[in-house]
Amino acid sequence: MISVKNNLKQLNQNLTWDKGVGILLVLTVIFGWVMTPDFASTSNLGFVLQDIGEILIIALPMTFLIIAGEIDLSVASTLSLASSTMGYAYRSGLGFGIAVFIGILVSILCGAINGFLVNYLGLQSLAVTIGTMGLFRGLCFVLLGNQPVNQLPDFWANLGSESIPHTFLPWSVVIIIPSVIIAWVVLHRTRVGRWTFVTGISAEAARFSGIPDKRFKFWLFVATGFMSGVAAFVYTLRFASASPDSATGYELSVIAAVLFGGVSIAGGFGTMWGVLFSVLELGAIRSVLQLINFTANALQMVSGALLLFSVALPRVIEMLKTRREARVKPSVTSLTSSRSV
Amino acid sequence: MRKLISIREFPIFVVFVLFYLTAGLGNHQIFTTSGLHDILFGSAIVALLAVAETLIIVMKHIDLSIGSVIGFSSYLIGKNASEGHGLFFCMSIGVGLGLLVGALNGLLVAYFRLPSLVVTLGTLYLVRGYFSQVVGGDFINSGQVPKLLTSMATHTFVKVPLLFIVSLIVALIVGLYMRNMRSGRDLYAIGSNHSAALLAGINVAHRTFWAFTAAGGIAGFAGAVLLARYGQAQANSGLGIELNVVAACVVGGVAIAGGVGTVYGAIIGAILLQTIVLALGALGVSQFWQGVVNGALLIAAISLDKILSMRSVRTQIMRKVQHD
Repeated sequence: MISVKNNLKQLNQNLTWDKGVGILLVLTVIFGWVMTPDFASTSNLGFVLQDIGEILIIALPMTFLIIAGEIDLSVASTLSLASSTMGYAYRSGLGFGIAVFIGILVSILCGAINGFLVNYLGLQSLAVTIGTMGLFRGLCFVLLGNQPVNQLPDFWANLGSESIPHTFLPWSVVIIIPSVIIAWVVLHRTRVGRWTFVTGISAEAARFSGIPDKRFKFWLFVATGFMSGVAAFVYTLRFASASPDSATGYELSVIAAVLFGGVSIAGGFGTMWGVLFSVLELGAIRSVLQLINFTANALQMVSGALLLFSVALPRVIEMLKTRREARVKPSVTSLTSSRSV
Repeated sequence: MRKLISIREFPIFVVFVLFYLTAGLGNHQIFTTSGLHDILFGSAIVALLAVAETLIIVMKHIDLSIGSVIGFSSYLIGKNASEGHGLFFCMSIGVGLGLLVGALNGLLVAYFRLPSLVVTLGTLYLVRGYFSQVVGGDFINSGQVPKLLTSMATHTFVKVPLLFIVSLIVALIVGLYMRNMRSGRDLYAIGSNHSAALLAGINVAHRTFWAFTAAGGIAGFAGAVLLARYGQAQANSGLGIELNVVAACVVGGVAIAGGVGTVYGAIIGAILLQTIVLALGALGVSQFWQGVVNGALLIAAISLDKILSMRSVRTQIMRKVQHD
């Protein structure tokens, strides 16, 4: 009996939030499999990967930003502006390859604007990116008006809708998999990754220990802009169109996914695995709900509930812990026993 | 005169007057009473929501869920009215919804100590999702809107639209409360220094909870104004309005860093945004620039606020150095 209890305690200690999300992902997949056989079909898995592609691509740099204690609400507008620029450039007669290049340059510029305002003017990233969110979205409408660009070259449009030959994987995994690996290595295995955590825990301590925190965070915003541009490329191909109202509300999905992946909104904590699992989990839940005939509105509610749940649950656990410790403290014997746990 | 200049809302008021004059020189239509009427009529809703948002931003929090609340509330009011319920009953349902969502926000922010940005982003999603689910393709048309509300939208008092007067009355009540009541002053204290407010014995959680609940209630009430103004309600009513509201507050001098600003400033901010929209239209600029201008104005306002506050801190330090 005691050994079972100890094993449970051991498990309790080793079970971190990101692993929990991973287990939840496995459970969701099994549940989906049992509920509808369609879920595990390769075409559906390919569809899920395609469905979450842009969110995953943007969630990677967003993880860095939130761990470093900042936030960027303008990512969806940046995506839309980059996509609109691609469409606009293509419509005015440039080659599609060049149009994509220009679009990604624009997204880098968007990130640089955010980075400049936050780091060199010292403004709050929340307020700044609410502003640039409206600004970039407005520019999309200025560029394209109410006419989306629909006629993309066949070669590119096919890339967006077809999967890699002999597999069920969409072409976007060519971008996604290397990005995830690079993001994981940089966050958990390099100096820049350590800088991210240190700046998130205390920007002041980071500055005193010689980290160029402003320059560093500026480049984080630029990287977020760049990845939004890459996501815009994937998004434009997937829908074979560039329209000024693309990706509305994606910023909320991205932030919900990052926070559900165990990244602390206060900064300083989080893992890339957690975020990866969380985005996949989001896609899996959406797919299961769609297959058992839920509407898009229900999906929106699930995103909201997940977001609230992912911030509320750790806090509830923490509150229960402090309450238990406060109750335990007066007795010396239980204090020592609680230490040994 | 110096006292007048040192009022926080003074610069924004000057900007408004300058903008009004330049726009008017380009298009004389704006100078007529109907031009003024259009500005006030168009800004009534954002102004009313900005009053609610001021309660929150002053505490250094933010409430993004008001756009979903106002939309859902306007639909509920219209729906219940079309089923033959009295206006008072319908209004109570709308306000009740607002109070409920506000209380949920307040509970999570005040007692669970969760970041308000994330919480209200979550409730924005939840309420909008549930709202769309309930509405489906249904919509409320002008025939179903209570007669009293539709007549309010068309009537004026001394050339001022009644809807704007409603916003003004709410602003006056909240403004007096925040200026004169002890619990109102506490909101400023919480926003300027959270731990100092705690040490001073303010019941921070209690105040935060009730401020969020009140803001939700005002947003629910604003649903009636939205319904009166447009004479219709559907699944995308009030979508994205929270950004205009935050912009109006910040432009009106309610600093996002907390602790300063008044509801009157927020209302002037709302009027300024609406003036810009109308002026752009009158000057023949495409309506597509509207979002760009709103965003740019928000960024300009926070940048200016930061630069001014940095300068005032610097002069204080300089004075101190000279005294020593």
